[in-house]
Amino acid sequence: MKTKFINGVLGIVIALMLGAIVMWIQGYAPFETYTALFNYSLGSFYSFTTMLRNSVPLILTGLSASVAFASGPVNLGQPGQFLMGALLATIGGLYLDLPPILMIPILILLAMLGGALWSGLAGLMRLWFKMDEFITTLMLNMIADFFTYWAISYPLFDKEAYSPMTPAINPNGWLPEFGNFNTNIIVMILAFIAVWFISKKTVAGYEWRIAGQNSLFARLGGCEIDKNYLKVMLLTGALAGLAGGLVVMAGPHRFLKGLGANYAWDGVMIAMVANNGILATLLYGLFFSILQTGALGMELITDVPREFIMVIQAVIVLVVVAGRGYFNILMDKIAVRRKAKEGLE
Amino acid sequence: MNVIIGLINGMITGATPILLAALGGTMTYYAGIFNIAMEGMMLGGAFFAVLGSYYFESWVVGILFAILGSLLMALIFILFSVKLKTDEFVTGVALNLFALGATTYMLRQIFGVKGAFASPGIVPIPDIDIPLLEDIPVLGQILSGHNLLVYVGLIATILCHYLIYKTRFGLRLRAAGYNTNCLDTSGVRSDRIRTISVILCGIFCGLAGSFLSLGYVTLFSENMSAGKGWISLAAIILVNGNPWGIALISLIFGFSDGLGLLLQQYLPSQFTSMVPYIATLIALYVYSSRKKKEKFS
Repeated sequence: MKTKFINGVLGIVIALMLGAIVMWIQGYAPFETYTALFNYSLGSFYSFTTMLRNSVPLILTGLSASVAFASGPVNLGQPGQFLMGALLATIGGLYLDLPPILMIPILILLAMLGGALWSGLAGLMRLWFKMDEFITTLMLNMIADFFTYWAISYPLFDKEAYSPMTPAINPNGWLPEFGNFNTNIIVMILAFIAVWFISKKTVAGYEWRIAGQNSLFARLGGCEIDKNYLKVMLLTGALAGLAGGLVVMAGPHRFLKGLGANYAWDGVMIAMVANNGILATLLYGLFFSILQTGALGMELITDVPREFIMVIQAVIVLVVVAGRGYFNILMDKIAVRRKAKEGLE
Repeated sequence: MNVIIGLINGMITGATPILLAALGGTMTYYAGIFNIAMEGMMLGGAFFAVLGSYYFESWVVGILFAILGSLLMALIFILFSVKLKTDEFVTGVALNLFALGATTYMLRQIFGVKGAFASPGIVPIPDIDIPLLEDIPVLGQILSGHNLLVYVGLIATILCHYLIYKTRFGLRLRAAGYNTNCLDTSGVRSDRIRTISVILCGIFCGLAGSFLSLGYVTLFSENMSAGKGWISLAAIILVNGNPWGIALISLIFGFSDGLGLLLQQYLPSQFTSMVPYIATLIALYVYSSRKKKEKFS
């Protein structure tokens, strides 16, 4: 735990320093830029709550990827599942009219259903036809992208809008907000606790983890691999779908073109950098949200384009993951050397 | 008739970037590297192609820049996955995102635009008319007058086939993937073979990228590789890396691309754009069911 933490912090510091060097070469002021970045994501109550709100889709798609990778299935379909979840929640929000106490849970369930349907499709392709989910989920991402684009351009199009988007959903389906504190965070925390409980405290979660580490051992031990596989796909799809639904319900309250574009691969990245750990996913999700929320401030104050953060994120992933692997090799080497010495004496 | 010729020409054009990227990917496939970074290498290549072509007013420099840009990505890949032994999958995903972020960032920094950069100053790669062949009625229309890189793709297919199956390097390349320890104990450093394979992959992906931004269209737009790297990966897996098989699969994907354009008269463009991805799923289905049969027979 301690080495993991040190490794993560070190990786982030190295990546930020590399970013600072690039900025310095281009004639920007690195220190002021990073100050602006953290000020705009942590500096005030407003920016802090905005950062929390933005972290919700990151953490949920991250959890989706983490649980999937840790249990075996290479579910790379978070972007597509996110979009289908958002679409189903939007449809519910447009055509249903219930009091908020019913409406909100129903929309949340619809969002999870949308994501689970899309990941379930990939899961069934694997179970029935042995098609690798690693490629099918990627292709389904593109298909979902075009499908939702069509849905908001034609059948659900808001006739008063100039670009593809749906009308606003029924206000009863909006997530309540206190000041700038959006309740999507509460939904996320509940989902986080549920995921943590399932994977740490239930038999199913244990079986998934074992299957992820050693599928043959799990099968010989009597786990139903196929059934578990489908369950994991459905759960992880539901998580990504939930992320999509919450974005619609908390943010623009409608489905806009390019809704999920910002979160497309972030979930997978967060899971990788967190080494599929559940708590680590939460922490890295928060950190990535700090970067992304602060990027706007960075652009406003020091003119560094906010796209720079995308580069920094990728560098963080590479440095932290490479560092983790290399750290272990280094430790092994030291241990071997020490043993060799002892042998000599 | 014209429709058919148009469809065939569309097929060839659509196939070229996938073919070039997949030929690069097949090198690493044989070397036993799970390389998913074609997407990022292509995108990097596409950006640098426009950069070189625009500033030096020459498509030759454009192609050279594309190869250099793609090689830069390849070197990062080598540093992490070959030297530092980082997980290849993680390296690939991070590199793809790095390419996406870096090209978007540079698009804004260098050209001062968001989304896409198009200018009459970008010199495209020329089309080549083949003498004599171009005079034959139908055949000439199909075989002649394509972009230079289409012919490069064809030659590259032949060369790759030769390189992989007929040369000493090809043998070592395949050995690196088949049995690393055996190669190492016979005195050839497998790491070096892997490094060369990634460099070759970078060169091919650079060519593919330059076709995207200087051949297919003459502009650079954000994320313009749009999943083509992933489709080329699917193509490699579907034919187990055989260059001629890759050419065939690329043509099928190219056909689905052209078919999508043709269908635009009847369907909303969002549905026709799905066609190549659905084609990939169908191809994967055929492949998997064939494999399943082999297992039981």
